Amino acid sequence: MLTFVTPDMLLPILALLVLSIDLFIESKNKTAILFDTAAAGVLLIIVLLFNLPHDQEFYYLTNYKVDGLRLLFKEIFAISLFFTILLGKGYARKNGNWRGILKYDSEFIALLIFCAFGMFCVVSAQELITLFIGLELATIPMYFLTAYYKKDQSSLEGAMKYIIMGSLTSALVLLGYSFWYGAVGCLRYEAILSFVQTNPDNPMFLAGAIFVFAAVCFKLAMVPFHMWAPDVYQAAPTPVTAFLSVASKSTAIAFVITLLYGPLAPIRHVFTYPLGILACITMTVGNLGAMRQYELRRFMAYSSIAQAGYIMLALVGNGKMAVPSIIYYLFIYLATNFCLFFIISVIGQKRPEEFASLRGLAKQSPALAGILVLCLFSLAGIPPLAGFTGKFMLFASAAEGGFYGLVIFAALNSTVSLYYYLLLIKEAYINKPEEDLESLEITFTQSFSIAILTLAVVILGLIPWFSSIITKIVG
Amino acid sequence: METFFTTNSWVILLMPFLVFLVNGLFLGKRSWRAAAYFAVACMSVAFFFAIKIAIGFFSHVHEHSYIKGWEIEWLRFASADILGFDLVANVGMLLDPISIMMLVVVTAISVLVNIYSIGYMKEDPSAGRFFSLLSLFSFSMLGLVSSTNIFQMFVFWELVGASSYLLIGFWYHKPSAVSASKKAFIVTRFADAFFLAGIIAVSYFTQTFDFIELNKLATVETLNRYAFLGFGTVNVLTVGTLLIFAGGWGKSAMFPLHIWLPDAMEGPTPVSSIIHSATMVVAGIYLTARLFPLFSHSPLTMDVVAYVGAFTALFAAVIAVTQNDIKRILAFSTLSQLGYMLFSLGVSKMVVEEGGAINSLGYSASMFHVFTHAAFKCMLFLIAGQVIHVVHSNNIWDMGGLRKKMPFTYVSCLIACLAIGGIWPFAGFWSKDEIILASLQGGHTVIFAIGLFVGGLTAFYMFRLFFVTFHGESRKELHHVHEDPFMTFPIVVLAIPSAVGGYFAKDLFHHAFVPNMPLHIHELSHPHWLPWVATSMGLSGIILAYFFFGRNKFTQASSIAKAMGPLHTVIENKFYFDEFYLFMTHKVAFRFVAAPIKWFDRKIVDGVMNLTGFLLHAGGAIVRFLQTGQVQMYLSVMILGLLYFCYRVF
Repeated sequence: MLTFVTPDMLLPILALLVLSIDLFIESKNKTAILFDTAAAGVLLIIVLLFNLPHDQEFYYLTNYKVDGLRLLFKEIFAISLFFTILLGKGYARKNGNWRGILKYDSEFIALLIFCAFGMFCVVSAQELITLFIGLELATIPMYFLTAYYKKDQSSLEGAMKYIIMGSLTSALVLLGYSFWYGAVGCLRYEAILSFVQTNPDNPMFLAGAIFVFAAVCFKLAMVPFHMWAPDVYQAAPTPVTAFLSVASKSTAIAFVITLLYGPLAPIRHVFTYPLGILACITMTVGNLGAMRQYELRRFMAYSSIAQAGYIMLALVGNGKMAVPSIIYYLFIYLATNFCLFFIISVIGQKRPEEFASLRGLAKQSPALAGILVLCLFSLAGIPPLAGFTGKFMLFASAAEGGFYGLVIFAALNSTVSLYYYLLLIKEAYINKPEEDLESLEITFTQSFSIAILTLAVVILGLIPWFSSIITKIVG
Repeated sequence: METFFTTNSWVILLMPFLVFLVNGLFLGKRSWRAAAYFAVACMSVAFFFAIKIAIGFFSHVHEHSYIKGWEIEWLRFASADILGFDLVANVGMLLDPISIMMLVVVTAISVLVNIYSIGYMKEDPSAGRFFSLLSLFSFSMLGLVSSTNIFQMFVFWELVGASSYLLIGFWYHKPSAVSASKKAFIVTRFADAFFLAGIIAVSYFTQTFDFIELNKLATVETLNRYAFLGFGTVNVLTVGTLLIFAGGWGKSAMFPLHIWLPDAMEGPTPVSSIIHSATMVVAGIYLTARLFPLFSHSPLTMDVVAYVGAFTALFAAVIAVTQNDIKRILAFSTLSQLGYMLFSLGVSKMVVEEGGAINSLGYSASMFHVFTHAAFKCMLFLIAGQVIHVVHSNNIWDMGGLRKKMPFTYVSCLIACLAIGGIWPFAGFWSKDEIILASLQGGHTVIFAIGLFVGGLTAFYMFRLFFVTFHGESRKELHHVHEDPFMTFPIVVLAIPSAVGGYFAKDLFHHAFVPNMPLHIHELSHPHWLPWVATSMGLSGIILAYFFFGRNKFTQASSIAKAMGPLHTVIENKFYFDEFYLFMTHKVAFRFVAAPIKWFDRKIVDGVMNLTGFLLHAGGAIVRFLQTGQVQMYLSVMILGLLYFCYRVF
């Protein structure tokens, strides 16, 4: 039965493997070898994950659970890790990009993999210590990764802010856990569950829960815990930004879902509505903030704040659709966001990663511009793209609980978002470049990844079986 | 009865659609000539299928027979397991006498007009587009006539409208062509709105779209009741059929919706030829005939059909006498002939009989006239195009003396004019004679008199055109006058049915073209003096025309015009109907309806949108302002979040 945790165990092994390759192998194109080995390893893990039975439950050493829901989350993490590594390869090659070359490749990859391992632990944990360690393991490497351009002042500044605020969050989580321990007297989920069933109104426990949810909101960059996100997203190297915006966010969502649909299930309704309200505020602030940005990573930060708002809105419904719709949307969000980051990486090769660099893209590379439009429309939720189906299910889940006001508010927000997504398209298609453009270089890795992700953006929306499979596994 | 050709009748629809796609996407841009030959080849295949179906069908005909060539479910509006009843729109091909006749006529004319266009459009830079759009038009019309249900017909009906818009406005760089295409589209769309309302009303009560079902007696009984329909409690049968007929009213350009048709001459002449002979404008007649068993149970509807038709026949013929543009004369003559076809259907309801029995002669005569008119009117337009091509003017007074220079055209034109003038034994005589006879038998004396009089008027204005164009001296310097073989061939081919088609087809129409409903056969009077009177009306029209216009001296004509004075001016200006509509739209509708709406849109709607945009940008500014980059600030805002949770949870 160890096969259930093989992928999890392979992750740290892979990280160590990458580090030792760096130590022992001398080669001219070591960078390529490192990235390709890591990508191949992660691909193997993805295949293993998909091959595990999604309809069984398995406990490893009684406090590490593997079931369909957890496997789906792990697949999201592993796929984002895979694409992050491929994305990073473009930044680590000899000519680097506008911000410099991404050095210390093996450490970069290993940190990412450890991060993913932490995320795996977060979803599988069945007691609070494992959960905490997983969460920290998923967060601490991110501090390093954010500061990866060591000589860039703004990069260090962003990382510093991240560490300060992240530490506060860790403190909040621990405070929350200690309140819980004080109330329950045990760290295991079953014990917490049985305690909550008998004492739903225990004030000490609720106070602990408030601290824990505040921490989660920080991870998710929910308003008003979102302030770090734009600065950190902008400071970090682009692959890290992509990983933060997809995998970290998914971790926080996994955290919320495993808690709310696990030990906290009896008092779920106490938290979902406040979270729903926050979700609406979050999407509004994200949309407003995204409106006049000129820097692409900062823009993506606000865009992903808004997206987190849509995702969290689904929880408010408390119904059967909530979890499946969120997981389905996370897959779509993963594909779309990574596709956009790959496009950014292609454009940012020789120019700053700014709006203005998109100018002339439609002439220079009509295919890339077309894919950009596809991705942005998908994020804005235009049918028949995947983003529309996903967003529809999120909203339907909220409507299932009868929160029509919130759904209408979210739909209006979605309209506002179209405005700034169209601004990008305007840059690519209408605005003329000021000077002659250097030709775009696109590597095989990049074109391969963009092709796969575009296919996913189109197909996930058109074919309904994927969402029904998720519903079957989770529901 | 079912043969290879009926089960594969979809080929008839596929062929023009294929041409549309292939020419529109590939061939048209590369070589218009290839596009043209491809169109002719494919339409010939369609024509071959239509002819084969016709031969198979009419060789052993018995009354009330029809075949559904094929039919598939298309849209399910309601299903029995949810709503308790089915409402399904199918797509298919209904093959019965009138649809088969129309399939043959439309495909034949499409082939000939395509051939003609090879000559006519050879100097046009966008000829490739022309051959694509022409096929789209044929496709729409073929789909319209072969529809199995009223919903499918409506779809093709609108397609006909859209493709005619594209064709009339083909020379879109000419402002007059653009406004003509808009006019045609808007006027017919206006009528179509009523048509759609009629479809909705009727299908709501009958729960079916199918023509066969709609024409059953049971349907009439279902519909013949009073119900609230939007504006009041009315008889559903009467209002429903009138609404449906309104669609035909606009498409067939009956008074007062006739205004689009003369302007539609702005398109290339082959387009006028195909639109005015057997396609778009007879759609209204065809719709009325298709639903004739249903319509005939509403006396009011039948009277409207009869009197609208008769009035338009007279009204348009009077205008045609005064026009100088060769294509406009033909356009008004089309209106007049359409009037004949329509009132022929209307007079099938006999007023002399108690309860009003149906005289199937009116129905078959109408269809007969659709058939003969298609031949000679198509031909007349082709001749007009030929002449315009040579003279480079539409004005008949710029022509003249073309008899010697264009012998084939001259003879063909004579045949066509004799046919439309109703002279024995040409095609028009037989159909028009039956129409007039039907109105006499039905007891509609006024309509009978109008029909007879308009017959004479028709001969007069047609021979006016004929004499002024071909006889006398040429009034303009002409170079390279020749008859293009591609253009002459279709004209000569059409001369055959125009000359003898009526004589040979009259028995077929009389026996096979009867409405699909129970009929009480009566022995009706058949006065022997009628053909003589009708022919002599036509002949006297020709003699008058010769007297005024045939002798190269037009003094009498102009003196009469002068003597008529203001009346002549009024008629020449088409009773100022265009001006009236312009006044109504520009001065009344634009000022009192459109302007306030525009104000509301600009000020209120746009204002709200602008305000929203402004507020959102202001919000964005606030968000950016708060993002100071100070960690202290970030942390204190987080405390706010914690307080929010505390407030919510406790």
